[in-house]
Amino acid sequence: MNRDIHEQAERLILQEQVEGISTADRERLERHLEGCERCARVAAATGQALQSLRATSVPLPPALAARAQLRVYLRAQQRRESGLTGWAPWLWCGLSWALGLASAPYVWAVFRWLGESAGLPGPVWKMGVALWWVVPALLTVAVLVIERRGREESGERYDDVR
Amino acid sequence: MAEDRKVLARGLRRRDPELLNGLIEQYQYRLFRYLLYLTASPETAEDLFQETWIRVLDRGHQYDGRARFETWLFAIARHLVVDLHRRKTPQSLEALTEDDRGEPLEFAATGPSPLDLFAQHQSEESVRLSLERLPAVYREVLLLRFQEDLALEEISGVLDAPLSTVKSRLYRGLQALRELLERRVL
Repeated sequence: MNRDIHEQAERLILQEQVEGISTADRERLERHLEGCERCARVAAATGQALQSLRATSVPLPPALAARAQLRVYLRAQQRRESGLTGWAPWLWCGLSWALGLASAPYVWAVFRWLGESAGLPGPVWKMGVALWWVVPALLTVAVLVIERRGREESGERYDDVR
Repeated sequence: MAEDRKVLARGLRRRDPELLNGLIEQYQYRLFRYLLYLTASPETAEDLFQETWIRVLDRGHQYDGRARFETWLFAIARHLVVDLHRRKTPQSLEALTEDDRGEPLEFAATGPSPLDLFAQHQSEESVRLSLERLPAVYREVLLLRFQEDLALEEISGVLDAPLSTVKSRLYRGLQALRELLERRVL
């Protein structure tokens, strides 16, 4: 037998395990293995390697599943909390905006009366009106940013929990 | 079977805690074994194990139930291993090898004899050492095919690689594993 036949046999031995071979190829391979000690040894070693691979077990760390379940639980809780704080500010923003629009003429009138009573120039009390809307919005943004940072830091701490 | 997967997909979209707890129990051994063989470090494998389930929670809506759940699960785990590998460059997966394997699995009292156990332990040790010496690309396809019994197309999905690549890695990996094991026996 020439070298090609052995190479073909080796290829079929691997192919049989990886993706399967046709009946005709199997018969051809079996005939070859009956007469070729070297290829028969390769076939046996391949079968043995796979058997060992399938039989191999690994040690599981104690409470592996319980620890993962706890982390998943904490994460789910975190998601729920961030979900609530996610839509709530938008709701309050909307309400605040509507209220701001509705009360704008009155706020304007009040600032004008205060400004004129105190003898302040027009641009000063007008700036007061602008600040009346801008300052709360800036404060809200600052609170949200601080809150988000806090959540991110606590998320990092969860990641460190082992 | 397909209906079961659809139910599973719906549960994952809802982030059903009972379902997730059950899945963690059900797949703990297979997922941990896969990660352990890829990282060769029990600590790293456990970190990634937990991270995988966090991803399952966060991205459960991405599982559509068309493929088997384990295919999707192993793909997530694999991405995490690859990410870790990239972050830890130039340290390679092989460089993460450690001897400490944690507590061994307990065998049943009515199981094989001590001699059988010793022989089995020797054989497992040989396979473990041989696998660690294999390049990671071969190791993972061998694990997915012969330990996880995934179909070639499923492995192709997990690896996001063409079927031809999967096959060629399997041929080369199996050949290399056989040679390494033969050398240990001789």
